[in-house]
Amino acid sequence: MTGTVFDIGYQRYTGAREGRSRGRKAVFKDGIRIALGLGRGGRAKILPWFSIAALSGLGLIFALMAGAAKALAGTAQAAKMDLPSHSDYNGVAAVMMFVFAALVGPELLCRDRRDGVIHLYLVRPLTGTDYVASRWAAFLAVMTAAAWVPQIILFLGLSMGDPRPADYLAAHWLDVPRFLAAGLAMSAYTTTLALLVASFTTRRAYASVFLVGLFVITTPFTVGLSQEIEGPVGTWISMFSLTSIPVHVNDLIFGEISEMTDKIPARLLPAWVLVGWWLAWVVVPGMVLWYRYRKLTP
Amino acid sequence: MQAATGAPLLAVERVTKQYKNVRALDDVSFTITDGITGILGENGAGKSTIIKILLGLLHPTSGSAKILGLDASRDVAARARVGYMPEHDCLPSEVSAAEFLTHMGEVSGLPPDVARTRAADTLRHVGLFEERYRAIGGYSTGMKQRVKLCQSLVHDPAFVFLDEPTAGLDPSGREEMLTLIRKTHREFGISVLFSSHLMADVERTCDRIIILQGGRLVRSGEVAQFTRETETVFIEVDTNRESLVSALERRGVVVTAEGGGLTVQGTDGSVFDQVRDALVEAEAPLRRMAPRRRELTELFEREVQSK
Repeated sequence: MTGTVFDIGYQRYTGAREGRSRGRKAVFKDGIRIALGLGRGGRAKILPWFSIAALSGLGLIFALMAGAAKALAGTAQAAKMDLPSHSDYNGVAAVMMFVFAALVGPELLCRDRRDGVIHLYLVRPLTGTDYVASRWAAFLAVMTAAAWVPQIILFLGLSMGDPRPADYLAAHWLDVPRFLAAGLAMSAYTTTLALLVASFTTRRAYASVFLVGLFVITTPFTVGLSQEIEGPVGTWISMFSLTSIPVHVNDLIFGEISEMTDKIPARLLPAWVLVGWWLAWVVVPGMVLWYRYRKLTP
Repeated sequence: MQAATGAPLLAVERVTKQYKNVRALDDVSFTITDGITGILGENGAGKSTIIKILLGLLHPTSGSAKILGLDASRDVAARARVGYMPEHDCLPSEVSAAEFLTHMGEVSGLPPDVARTRAADTLRHVGLFEERYRAIGGYSTGMKQRVKLCQSLVHDPAFVFLDEPTAGLDPSGREEMLTLIRKTHREFGISVLFSSHLMADVERTCDRIIILQGGRLVRSGEVAQFTRETETVFIEVDTNRESLVSALERRGVVVTAEGGGLTVQGTDGSVFDQVRDALVEAEAPLRRMAPRRRELTELFEREVQSK
């Protein structure tokens, strides 16, 4: 069978143009692909997928520990043990979440500015605000998934590990909205800070090193200082333990202090102060980030 | 081609752009209709500023700049019908050309399936179809320039801005790019505003030119009109060159020495008659005589110097 290929020449496009909303969706979709390394080489996939696997593995370990305790000591005895559960997860995983955000988040903004692709976005039906909001939403979606998936694994593990899964679900269904809300608090915070730092440099490595340093150094420094100084000043200093800020919110949501915040004086502050402090660390950096990109277009 | 409203494709009316201590544009007005228009000027002449104002990336201090009858800084949707190829690097290195162009098509508002089809078609038109799944980082400079052109065309704009499209290309790459620019208008029907400091490129490619100098519009018009106005006759003689110059000057002919020959202004019949008479009077054996169109480079220099 033979065929003939005809060159029909350049074809003008007369179909629908979906404008700004399509542009925003495209930047959002591209942001998710960048964060997960999709459509890129194997090296680009290592960091995000290793981090997600490690976080999920943590949820699995929690579930296995609870299952093993029930199997070895019996359900009644296991209930008396202080086994790690949903309320503890964010405290334990916080450092991993911050490192994930620090290593992956800057990729969403730095590369576009370093390669100059940002100039191509801004001459399309898209404003600086559209661009940065779409990128923020994309990374928030990835970070939220990274926060929720291990908790879902843990919840399924705990349900299925129980001799009566239906009874477990009936007794613990409230954990679901709690871990969803706590995960969202964690992801909104880490996403905004990671992207804000990324907006100041075209080099991902600089942003990542700065963020890891910020997250890792502030906690021992501020907690140590607050324990030395004590009193209200010490309590306020401990508020600057950046890894603890979303974990305080997690504690408020679950109504119990997690191991990570157990020694931090700020845990004793009123709930509205802790939530307001978290909100300030999301909104103010978010506004600065927005301002930096908004001024790129009139 | 005109905009749907009947307005010119681009209309710049008394645009001034004042920075703190620098006036980047000073009362510049022009309109552009269908075709390829070159914008010429030295560094700092205001070429990039006017393009940024037209794309809506800068507000003019006064005056108005409209694309397809719309102010792109107030109506972002206007940019869906405009393409822009920047001079500087603007391509990601890790993704394939097909994926990048599909994404850029979507960002311009095309539905995803249409963007995918148009990305492949546009790459075919610039000769990169076979290479479309390779990462852009592995492309040559010429191929990258073609990808940059493609991203400005993938959404089928009515008008495209090309900023120094031949920068960094070798002679064959430059020739290919100029061919593609001509094709963009003549075959694709997309009008072009082409900024360059290489006047030979503008002269060979454009229908019209706009000359900017120090933020002011020096002159604008058809390229043919510019060069016609400067037509000259080039004469080369074996001996008695000085006598010939004297004989021509006595006849009121404007003559200038150029290399080994002489250039005489004008190409109407009377000039040829006067040259003939002067050659006889000076007893200068003629080696060569031919009409010559002065290059745009000379014209540009003359216009700028006169301002």
